[in-house]
Amino acid sequence: MDAVEYLDLLLKSLLLAGVYAAMAVGMTVIYGVMKIVNLAHAGFLMLGAYFALEMFQRFHVDPILGSVLALPVFFLFGMAVHWLLIRWLPKSDTPTLASLLLMFGFWLVLQNIAYLIWGNEDQSILTPLTLSSVQIGQISIPKVNLVVFAAAVFCMAVLQIVFHRSWFGRSMRALIQNPYAAQIVGVDDQKTARLTFGLGAAFAGFAGGLLGMLFSFSPDFGRPFLLRSFVIIVLGGLESVSGVALGAILLAILETFGINIPLPVYWHGWSFHYLPPSYQQVIPFALLVVVLLILPKGLSSLFNRKWKAA
Amino acid sequence: MAEPQAETKQNDKILVAEGLEVSYGATQVLWGVSFSVTRGKVTCMIGSNGAGKTTSLNTVAGMLRAKNGRLLLNGDDITSLSPRDRVRRHISLVPEGRQLWPGMSVEENLLMGCFLRQFRPKAHPGLERIYGLFPRLKERRHQMAGTLSGGEQQMCAIGRGLMSEPQLLMLDEPSLGLAPRLVDEIFEFITNIARQGVTILLVGQNVNYTLQISHYGYVMETGRITLEGSTEMLMNNEFVRRAYLGIAEETPSK
Repeated sequence: MDAVEYLDLLLKSLLLAGVYAAMAVGMTVIYGVMKIVNLAHAGFLMLGAYFALEMFQRFHVDPILGSVLALPVFFLFGMAVHWLLIRWLPKSDTPTLASLLLMFGFWLVLQNIAYLIWGNEDQSILTPLTLSSVQIGQISIPKVNLVVFAAAVFCMAVLQIVFHRSWFGRSMRALIQNPYAAQIVGVDDQKTARLTFGLGAAFAGFAGGLLGMLFSFSPDFGRPFLLRSFVIIVLGGLESVSGVALGAILLAILETFGINIPLPVYWHGWSFHYLPPSYQQVIPFALLVVVLLILPKGLSSLFNRKWKAA
Repeated sequence: MAEPQAETKQNDKILVAEGLEVSYGATQVLWGVSFSVTRGKVTCMIGSNGAGKTTSLNTVAGMLRAKNGRLLLNGDDITSLSPRDRVRRHISLVPEGRQLWPGMSVEENLLMGCFLRQFRPKAHPGLERIYGLFPRLKERRHQMAGTLSGGEQQMCAIGRGLMSEPQLLMLDEPSLGLAPRLVDEIFEFITNIARQGVTILLVGQNVNYTLQISHYGYVMETGRITLEGSTEMLMNNEFVRRAYLGIAEETPSK
């Protein structure tokens, strides 16, 4: 492999990381504020893809715009789900079995509703963007990847501003970092939780639409991405949008390079072999196990030791 | 006591707690605790670890529910109000161990003291006021609170508590874990704040200092108030001298 190919792979993984980050950030804020592992995230991702598809097929809305439109729609949907289901869960500082089961059950419900409506065949969103690509030197990049990346990064930047410049953003961070202190200054944890769940669902729907432009999907769509979200959260920690971005970049690079460069194998002496592409799914799993063993508090624990004092 | 006299006495009480009983699960920690805080004065609670001082403050702040007893703020019953509604009524708690948000800047920590919508217009003048009181915080306003020294963190916590211009400021162990020089500094700040007319309810293990800057004090032991009186009286009390000003002070627990 020569340098151009490496550069090509690197670029492709960075472009993928944009969507990955948008996909994981929703789950991160929900976990941070409510300590709920949102297994239904996969369902929201899947619905987001179908939302973009329906908008495209019925109303000829460009799927990028459709994904952005998913933000407000899924925000309201998420708030409704919180109001109907999640607010009844007992409060806890750690994930509870009740919340896991509730979210898992809700995912199954979403999935089966999707089977009823759309059946089980694979769908994909094809636009003129899908087949054309941009040529930079010897590297060619599909336009759709570029556009998806730009949309993801833009929305993440907006989220970052909301996180740091608005009272709602501050109240979310306050609840993540010290819920007791948040209550002392009068943060309404129920209201913030409702808005946060809406925000998490909004980003899931948005990321689902973007992923639907890159991959074909069925009602079972979210499953592998749910796992990737876990890995990104574990890598990036809960404190910041930038942590999520870092985790996403790392995962995307490892996934892309893992099956594209020969790995050293010891079998009667050293030799190099390619990992079969079907093993790509194994990489996030393996990464999750390794990270949990070595850095159970995520990458940020490497940088933020000093926070422990507080 | 004559009736009219009792009435005037009631009026300058900003907070009255009557027979508070609080439990953590099955363990009862407050057994009929009654105390009051006089407007414009510093009232303190002293006592050893686990006596129920922090629990009392948390109950006043609404973080814990009293299963019996009443809390009156300016004569209004606030026993069943949420912490949020008590903040709204200008009660402010500076909790034990500072409880800042380590990953938020000093300025954001302070701003959160004005989180409630009714306080937000006061947020920016409030910042200037706090920076006037604690110039060190102004220098470090963009620094993460988790990177501050212990004393600076305490200043930040007190600053946050003052942001909403509270009518009652509760300070829980403001000198805990600080170097002696910083302890002097913190108590000086508290005295200054008190001089500006802020009503303070102070809990401290540094009994000597705490009594010196207070006007009235309560002694708590195992969930009950065992002694109360003016601070001069407490400082001369044989039991207080022996238990808190003598031996106990040299072996502070934790």
